[in-house]
Amino acid sequence: MHVSDAKSNLAIGFLTVIDYPEHGLFGGYLILNQLSRPLEFHCTTPIKPTRAQQILYGPTLQPYLYGEQIGRTLAASAKTRPVAVLTDREPALALREFVDVPVVLVPEQGGSSADANDAVYRIDAAHPTPARLTAFSLGPHRLIVPSSSAADREAVAAALGGIADSFDFREPFERIREAIEEARRGG
Amino acid sequence: MEEPKSRASMGDLGLAGIGGLCAPDSGAASIAVRSWRPPQAPNVVAENLALGAAVFPTGWNRAVARQPEIKAIRQETKGETPRVVSVPIRHPVIRARSFLFPDPVAQLGAPPAHASPAPAPQAPIKPASRTRLKPPADVIKLADRLRYVLQPSLETLLESRSLTFPFAPFAYQWEGVAFLYPRQTAILADEMGLGKTMQAITALRLLLHAGEANRVLLVCPKPLVTNWQREFHVWAPEIPLLVIEGDQARRRWQWELPDVPVKLANYELLHRDREILEGSQGSGTDFDLVILDESQRIKNRLSATSQAARAIRRRRVWAMTGTPIENSPDDLVGIFDFLMPGYLAPSMAPRRMARAVGDYVLRRTKDQVLADLPPKLFRDAELELTPSQRETYTLAEEEGVLRLTELGDSVTIQHVFELVLRLKQICNFDPATGDSSKLERLEADLEELAASGRKALVFSQWVDTLQRLRDRLQRFGPLEFHGRVSPRQREAVLRQFREDPDRRVLLISYGAGGVGLNLQFASYVFLFDRWWNPAIEDQAINRAHRIGSSGPVTVTRFLVVDTIEERIDRILQEKRELFDTVFASAAGPRPKIGLTQQQIFSLFELKCPASAVPSADPRGAAA
Repeated sequence: MHVSDAKSNLAIGFLTVIDYPEHGLFGGYLILNQLSRPLEFHCTTPIKPTRAQQILYGPTLQPYLYGEQIGRTLAASAKTRPVAVLTDREPALALREFVDVPVVLVPEQGGSSADANDAVYRIDAAHPTPARLTAFSLGPHRLIVPSSSAADREAVAAALGGIADSFDFREPFERIREAIEEARRGG
Repeated sequence: MEEPKSRASMGDLGLAGIGGLCAPDSGAASIAVRSWRPPQAPNVVAENLALGAAVFPTGWNRAVARQPEIKAIRQETKGETPRVVSVPIRHPVIRARSFLFPDPVAQLGAPPAHASPAPAPQAPIKPASRTRLKPPADVIKLADRLRYVLQPSLETLLESRSLTFPFAPFAYQWEGVAFLYPRQTAILADEMGLGKTMQAITALRLLLHAGEANRVLLVCPKPLVTNWQREFHVWAPEIPLLVIEGDQARRRWQWELPDVPVKLANYELLHRDREILEGSQGSGTDFDLVILDESQRIKNRLSATSQAARAIRRRRVWAMTGTPIENSPDDLVGIFDFLMPGYLAPSMAPRRMARAVGDYVLRRTKDQVLADLPPKLFRDAELELTPSQRETYTLAEEEGVLRLTELGDSVTIQHVFELVLRLKQICNFDPATGDSSKLERLEADLEELAASGRKALVFSQWVDTLQRLRDRLQRFGPLEFHGRVSPRQREAVLRQFREDPDRRVLLISYGAGGVGLNLQFASYVFLFDRWWNPAIEDQAINRAHRIGSSGPVTVTRFLVVDTIEERIDRILQEKRELFDTVFASAAGPRPKIGLTQQQIFSLFELKCPASAVPSADPRGAAA
């Protein structure tokens, strides 16, 4: 996926997907250094699922498009290997199956992923399906990884623990959205 | 049919003895066991079981005898072959566009090696706002636009480089820096007192640290050179600043020095050294950024100053002025003739001109940034004496100190007062020539704020000074308010100042008081000379500033460096700091802080004699 390390500096990837109803899905991938300065930016041309895909993929459509198609394409375009890829779109966690770095969800503040490991279990009924997402804390941040890659928590803590207190993990997504808007307007 | 008779009885089965298990009538169960003997063999009665049967016609026999008819019907079970509709699941073709940015950390490296030692570092400011950079409208290429859009906030950029500030800038100042930083061409036209200097210094500081500029030229009016030096020391202490000055040979050498990040020159030198600037082949006179302060100085494109400015080799240009249009839109044309020659035409309609310059000019007024500003903004204008003032001052001080020394023990505090007052008056005006660096600065500031429609108060402790100012500031319609104005006239003066738009300046003495002044019409206060006691100054300002009045007040305090004024100010400042440190938590107003006798004598490095007669309470000796 990635060709080379970015010298000895920390590189963090930020991935998001924006849905423009009239155009389709745009993906944006921004790689920053530990000072929050941009190193690389990649964005996709828009894609729109066909009606057949919407029906046949059903609930797997979003993970397929966000993670497998858009995320994997963007990750492959990058020259810098990040220590982790952060995303604000839960379906993009599916990218983890195709890359060898942790993929972490930065949930919206105040919101929570319904499937995170703080589900309520009942004693008088069958247990719900085991949570497919695992939440953990890193400094002031609450982050989520796929339960199938729960071991990524340690890797993320080791890589980003040093900057967690000073780095705003949500802010770069704003930049990506503005950049995609610029790219969309510029053609 | 007869019933078969083979039914055996319980007795026949020899079970007669088993009985009485239940005595139906008694309701009690009891078991009686009797003796048992094998049962008798039963009687066998033989009967003929051959049953006679008669056949009677039911029709069944024919039916039973009939051969079944078996029909075979072929039934197709295959059915129609269903139509198959194949739905191709094509993976979408996704193309990605990539943009790479040079590694800024490697590019920046360490701060400049020749940086002068910085003052003691302060904690980086954690600002509440996050100001984002926006690409200017004239940046067309997507990659260039993305370079700005994808940068972190300005505050993060500065924090990451550990660039500290003595105090946090206001939000609108961050926006001003964000406006200047990405622009090749810009005019910062904020109203006077909003900190244009600070914004320009911070923006060029960012450019220097980002490696986007290596050589900067600052041009300002001569009286403001000291002010710029001071502001640099406050806002960018790590950046070396070279002031172009001295004789021609020295200036030529200074102009041609190649590795100086920032050079500071005045407009007069631009004109005088035009030949050096045009003729030099070295990189010392090629500038990545030229900043013109008070850029209305070049509004007349035919003037020598304007022509000299246009001769400077430069890449980026920023102009600063509080009055981009002093008299007519052509003033702006003149400034743009330097920034972007040919961009504006003198005959352009004002509306079309406004649209054309929209992205290049940033102007905020105090009203617009009201929410950010405190009620009172203090700024110190540090000035140098004019040559004639310096000559007179030096002579007066030397002679005065000599005379005090000769008095020996008979010297009194009164003698010292007289010398102090004399020197302070020279700091205001040279008695022989009338030259005044304070007046030069005051005129420049009044021009700017008058063009913005504002009014000002000017305080002095001497009525004579106020009257000299009245004569020299006629074009601003000055009014006087001091002891020589009769009480009957004072109300009329105030009304005229309030209502007449041509009356821009009110000249007031510190002693005038007891009447509230409406500062809604005077948002600028100038302290032409300082009082001994800062509390008196505060009182003067507060009398004029009514609580609840709208609009912040900008107070400019003039101070001439290397003179008695500076020494007095230093002592008072130390006393204020000491009081604040000791009584930081105490409520209530600060008591009067003045100079003691010893301190007054120390102004001239004289010992206070034991026989010095106190003329007043020592604490209030200079109050």
